[in-house]
Amino acid sequence: MTLLELDGVCKSYVRGERPRIVLSGVSLQIEPGELVAIWGARRSGRSTLLRVAAGVEAPDSGVVRFEGRDLSDREGGALGGGIGYCRRSFHPGEGRVVLDQIVAGLLACGVSRADAAALAQRALQRVGAGRCAALDPGELDGAETIRVAIARALALQPRLLVIDEPTNGVDLLERDSVLLLLRSLADEGIAVLKSTDVATGLSGADRALTLSEGELHGAVSPELGSVVPLRRPAARRASA
Amino acid sequence: MRSPVNWALLGLIIERPSYGYELAHRFERAYGGMLRLSSSSHVYTALDTLEGHGLIEEILGTGGGRQPKPHYRATAKGVRGYREWLIAQVRQERGRSRLFVRQLAVFAQEPDAALEVIEHYSQVCLAEAGNTPLAARPAVDASTGLIDRLTSEASRTEVEAKLTWIDYARREFRSLAKSRVFGR
Repeated sequence: MTLLELDGVCKSYVRGERPRIVLSGVSLQIEPGELVAIWGARRSGRSTLLRVAAGVEAPDSGVVRFEGRDLSDREGGALGGGIGYCRRSFHPGEGRVVLDQIVAGLLACGVSRADAAALAQRALQRVGAGRCAALDPGELDGAETIRVAIARALALQPRLLVIDEPTNGVDLLERDSVLLLLRSLADEGIAVLKSTDVATGLSGADRALTLSEGELHGAVSPELGSVVPLRRPAARRASA
Repeated sequence: MRSPVNWALLGLIIERPSYGYELAHRFERAYGGMLRLSSSSHVYTALDTLEGHGLIEEILGTGGGRQPKPHYRATAKGVRGYREWLIAQVRQERGRSRLFVRQLAVFAQEPDAALEVIEHYSQVCLAEAGNTPLAARPAVDASTGLIDRLTSEASRTEVEAKLTWIDYARREFRSLAKSRVFGR
């Protein structure tokens, strides 16, 4: 079954009298374990696309389905329900140090405090940020911030990770290691949907698409990817 | 001297003095899939040419013995020549890019045809970007894998410029296509 499906999604924002169309009839399918990257220039709508795909925002029209279910029908929204949306911001109320921030998300999902601490620690280790556990989030550099953001989403054991511009703010020489981390998560079976405004962010993707004037260009489903293949989707790699 | 293989071999000798057999192996590792040696003797012919042009010289004392293995190093003229050839390559690349744009622009009256070309170009660029290898920097010896990382970054930077241009060209031709629809 397709993990995530966007079908004819439209979204616009109204500022004053003039509506701005951000997404125009966007359709996209993502399979389990697939890493899909969206390239778009500034104000192309890529961040909106990711928020809509993660269920953070509702589309004006069209449908977003996760594991066959319409996201608008899901109680409590999509977050914590299989989709991990990576946020870079840290709210002081959620904890003084990095570990507390991750634990807070788990407690909100009903995980016991003891289990939450263990899961948070494990997630930090998995993303290579174990040494950041006791740090104030304000002390983190760009690469550490994004790793912790991934860990926070990962702790909830998502089947899809959604991440906006993972290399933004990351030191040039550290970017590949962050992208390799995302690739490794996809190889473990967690689908990843990422956006980028730099071509570097496309590296390692199973499929790469571009977003221009609210329209998605490229292979919107894995089958169409065979026209100009990038990498074999994880599911096919595993069965090969 | 026009052969890209000769220039590539000169580059390898600039990188590190070497002899024929070793050069053939280094050539395969560095340029396999991009450039090809026509035969096993190609390297030796190229070395003769490079030496004849004064771009490389034999290191004294390495060509004798029962199994002579003459090592070559680049001359100052060779390093200078290689640098100038590389600069000329950049200019040629730019020329090819301008030629493509000029040839695409003939579709001003057929914007849908241009958009089709642009879509294919976009797919090729996306494929190139996606397939560019990722390589984390080693913590200890940063020189390990340096060539691969520099090559990847050069490729990605190039693709990024192309994607930005594609985005612009797509908008131009879409705008033309719309104006033709409304102008009918």
